Amino acid sequence: MSVKSPILDAKIPDGPVQQKWSDHKASIKLVNPANKRKYTVIVVGTGLAGGAAAATLGELGYNVLNFCIQDSPRRAHSVAAQGGINAAKNYQNDGDSVWRLFYDTVKGGDYRAREANVYRLAELSTNIIDQSVAAGVPFAREYGGTLANRSFGGAQVSRTFYARGQTGQQLLLGCYSALMRQVDAGRVKLFPRREMLDVVLAEGRARGIVCRNLVTGEIEKYAADAVCVATGGYSTVFFLSTNAVNCNATAAWRCYKKGALFANPCFTQIHPTCLPQAGEGQSKLTLMSESLRNDGRVWVPKTKGDKRPPQDIPEGERDYFLERKYPAFGNLAPRDISSRAAKEACDNGYGVGATGFSVYLDFAEAIGRLGESVIRERYGNLFAMYHEITDEDPYRMPMRIYPAPHYTMGGLWVDYNLMTTVPGLYALGEANFSDHGANRLGASALMQGLADGYFVLPATISDYLAEHRPDGMTTNHEAFTESVKAVDEQTKQLIGINGKKTVRDYHWELGRVMWEKVGMARDEAGLKEAISDIQALREDYWKNVKVGGSNEDLNKSLEFAGRLGDFLELGEVMAVDALDREESCGGHFRKEYQTADGEALRNDDKFCHVSAWKYTGDNKTPELHKEPLEFDDVKLTQRSYK
Amino acid sequence: MSVIRIWQSTVGKKVVMAVSGIFLMLFLITHLAGNLTMFAPDDGALFNQYAHKLESMGVLLYVAEAGLLAIFLFHVVAAFQVYLGKKRARAGGYDRDASKGGPSKLTVASRSMIITGIVLLIFIPVHIWMFKFNAGQEFTYTEVGGEEVKNLYAVVVESFQNPWIAFGYTAVMLLLGLHLRHGFWSSLQSLGAMSPRWTPAIYAVGLIFALLLAGGFLLLPLYFFFFGEIPDAGMGGGL
Amino acid sequence: MKFQVKVWRQKNRQDAGRFETYTVEDVIPEMSFLEMLDLLNEQLLKRDESPIEFDSDCREGICGTCGLVVDGMAHGPKRACTTCELRMRNFSEDKTIVVEPFRAHGFPVIKDLVVDREAFDRIIAAGGYTSVNTGSAPEANALLIPKDIAEKAMDSAACIGCGACVAACPNASASLFVSAKITQFSLLPQGAAERKRRAVRMVEQMDREGFGNCSNHAECEAACPKSISIENIAVMRREYMKGALAGA
Repeated sequence: MSVKSPILDAKIPDGPVQQKWSDHKASIKLVNPANKRKYTVIVVGTGLAGGAAAATLGELGYNVLNFCIQDSPRRAHSVAAQGGINAAKNYQNDGDSVWRLFYDTVKGGDYRAREANVYRLAELSTNIIDQSVAAGVPFAREYGGTLANRSFGGAQVSRTFYARGQTGQQLLLGCYSALMRQVDAGRVKLFPRREMLDVVLAEGRARGIVCRNLVTGEIEKYAADAVCVATGGYSTVFFLSTNAVNCNATAAWRCYKKGALFANPCFTQIHPTCLPQAGEGQSKLTLMSESLRNDGRVWVPKTKGDKRPPQDIPEGERDYFLERKYPAFGNLAPRDISSRAAKEACDNGYGVGATGFSVYLDFAEAIGRLGESVIRERYGNLFAMYHEITDEDPYRMPMRIYPAPHYTMGGLWVDYNLMTTVPGLYALGEANFSDHGANRLGASALMQGLADGYFVLPATISDYLAEHRPDGMTTNHEAFTESVKAVDEQTKQLIGINGKKTVRDYHWELGRVMWEKVGMARDEAGLKEAISDIQALREDYWKNVKVGGSNEDLNKSLEFAGRLGDFLELGEVMAVDALDREESCGGHFRKEYQTADGEALRNDDKFCHVSAWKYTGDNKTPELHKEPLEFDDVKLTQRSYK
Repeated sequence: MSVIRIWQSTVGKKVVMAVSGIFLMLFLITHLAGNLTMFAPDDGALFNQYAHKLESMGVLLYVAEAGLLAIFLFHVVAAFQVYLGKKRARAGGYDRDASKGGPSKLTVASRSMIITGIVLLIFIPVHIWMFKFNAGQEFTYTEVGGEEVKNLYAVVVESFQNPWIAFGYTAVMLLLGLHLRHGFWSSLQSLGAMSPRWTPAIYAVGLIFALLLAGGFLLLPLYFFFFGEIPDAGMGGGL
Repeated sequence: MKFQVKVWRQKNRQDAGRFETYTVEDVIPEMSFLEMLDLLNEQLLKRDESPIEFDSDCREGICGTCGLVVDGMAHGPKRACTTCELRMRNFSEDKTIVVEPFRAHGFPVIKDLVVDREAFDRIIAAGGYTSVNTGSAPEANALLIPKDIAEKAMDSAACIGCGACVAACPNASASLFVSAKITQFSLLPQGAAERKRRAVRMVEQMDREGFGNCSNHAECEAACPKSISIENIAVMRREYMKGALAGA
């Protein structure tokens, strides 16, 4: 049994899980409506979590300062989510309920999430749909005019709401429009093209941020009564991922370095159906809907290094490895299992394509059985996209796919109120660790972002603000001066090194280490190697990186340089966390801990806890703090997909 | 909301252009119908009679002319405002400029609206001076249906004997066709009357309309240049 | 593959700007246009030359961040495609590729190929929303919206706000962008209460931002990576006139 760290008080309300949120809301301290405008709240990020929070705080009457690195809030990476958003509306009358969504999410997270948080998420899911519809989100509808649903990611009920393949975009535009309404009303002030580079602490509380104006290069400072970080996940630590090229961990990482604990950094999700890398010039990987696996069969040649075109490889010489290893689920085996199996096949030399790092996803059998028109109807847009990118026609020859990092479950540790271990510093959405445990279910990321932004934070923040009245804090406080100085020095340092290798060269190298040793299947030796590799790379980076340009105007190479500096630290902590967690669960698979069938083997006795890491200084191993997880409502069981 | 504010908006301006443009197109249709009477095999009697009927409307004609002038000026002023707005909005052009095709209706016609428009703006006073005022000379008179009427027909036929006038007029009519090719469909789009179902049809009708009008107008100078004979002054043909 | 690219370089807003021609080697046909520029930038950095600044983010055609005028066409020669989705196999090595920023008074150049599109945000702030506070939304299925109407609203809502319509328009008009949002809300019952006010305010904000007038060239529809129809512009005009005449 894990021992609870004294600094990790999750503040989970008492009472039955169904009552916790409503009871808590009833007991939260409130800020008088007339006083709200006297409070300033900083929200960093304008995705589903940040955008919804900034808009809602503005509606409540707070004075909000909202920052983003993009040129417009509408471009936050939430925009790229395709599939949909879960909600326990039970419109299909198929037995869904808040309880079932709660149960599925806890189980899907492989029992490494807090029950209380997950229940609240399931409860709020229905309000999110109401709110989004009211904002004008054009969800898919039935002929009768009611909302349509589909089943997603192997769920047994149809609870996923969607707007074509652009659900993330439409939900984001919904909360972006609410945000712009507050901008128009003067309650939210927008700061686009700003990158948060530090959180400023005074008397132990978060009192503002320091950021770089990405156009002028100026280091700017902003004071507030509370700071909310909603800056997304850190999949780009792998260099190639399905995330946008500007996604980064810098804001969250700088919070970590100011004392906020970072939880479960090793919990990352790898998506099995992405387009393979075409060459060294590749900048990101493109995700294709997992639904392709409903009709496609995954295979590699039985002979190593078989370079024959797929159509020339006879049936008997093909290894349909998912069907072979997991006969019950076959090609529909869960994300982590499918991803791992594909990587293993390629690592062993069976991979196909020019690089040898892809496996076939073959529709020939489905086309033969159902006809090309049915396949076209089901996947026409995905096939077209694949054809456009690869110049190969998937109706004629099998697709080639490869797994890619997609989402990170880990993030800043937060309590039930979404506050980090730093008073007044909140983390929302993918930037926190709270709701998905060791593995996130499909169509749940959008749900969490909006739940945090629209409903949780705007309710819980008043509890803190009511206790900490505005005290005339300005950016003249010496804490700001110090922070600006440190940020400015680091920026100049990066420019000044003027070494031999570019930021991209280093990022590429870090990505390779992370992918090979801290990727889908990890082991002790590999993780130890990764730690020393990353340390060496980091040391070299600060001596030999070439950034170019100036710090006094728009310089994207400099932006990437700062972010990579943080990834070179975060990557190590991910490896440290993965090494410490001697079990396999969800997205974290340790080769040493698997069942005879190759299934993840959890160790609930020793690792049924959140691992939160505390910064102890540069180049020092962080300190581990544990928050034990208690399961009162969902029984711990081992999953099986055989 | 004041009418001025509506005019000042980009949408309002296009509505002004569209409405005035539609009136001008209607006028062109009646004008062409009148012109075509010249092809009646009566040495211009029908045409002269038509012209006389118009003139004898008296005050009403002046009102109609003033109205037409006002509509024309609305069209011209809005057009120049649109053009100046465009100049402000896109100060520098692209080094290489190309159309993506497909649904694009970016054509020589749409791009040259301001040029064809300016040509028409210059042409119209000249045209009026030439035919309404016979370039400052006295009209001859002829008898139609027992009435003494101006022999406008003779003026037209005589003018088009001059190759400069005949071919100049033809060229301008080609430009008018170009102007109408974009103007016809554009006016309906500006009024918000379009839908994907109708747009291709209306765009095609716009082409036919432009061809018919320009063709109709330029038939006259070409016909009279090649086949026209100056009718004897004072010799009125019978109906 | 090896390409000659002629790229617009401009230090800052005030700078007059000029073209520079570069050679990029080791390009593979699968590369996206932006990956080709990434490669060129790496080569420039290593030669101690300043890299070409351009905006991009998701690199899969949904965020609307990227946008270049390639060979005189916004987002390049392929239709229904953003610059990040454009592949190098669409180009021939024989011809120099010309790369320019979106040019419009409403989109001032910040540096090289990066432009300022905040005008679009201000237009949305002028009315591109429904005024419903968080928490006051009615039950989602209380509002029945016929499937075809929802689909039409989605067609308009698909706009990614990239600004290619402005870049492609000979008049630098923002009509397609503005009309797509006005049309989306004009179709849905959610936006009905403020429909007239919205159309008038958004159009007037668009005008204040210095975008040109729409002359119905329809080049915007051809350039739009999401193929948004100019029918939206027709709808915007109807909505505006209804609003304006009603005194909204």
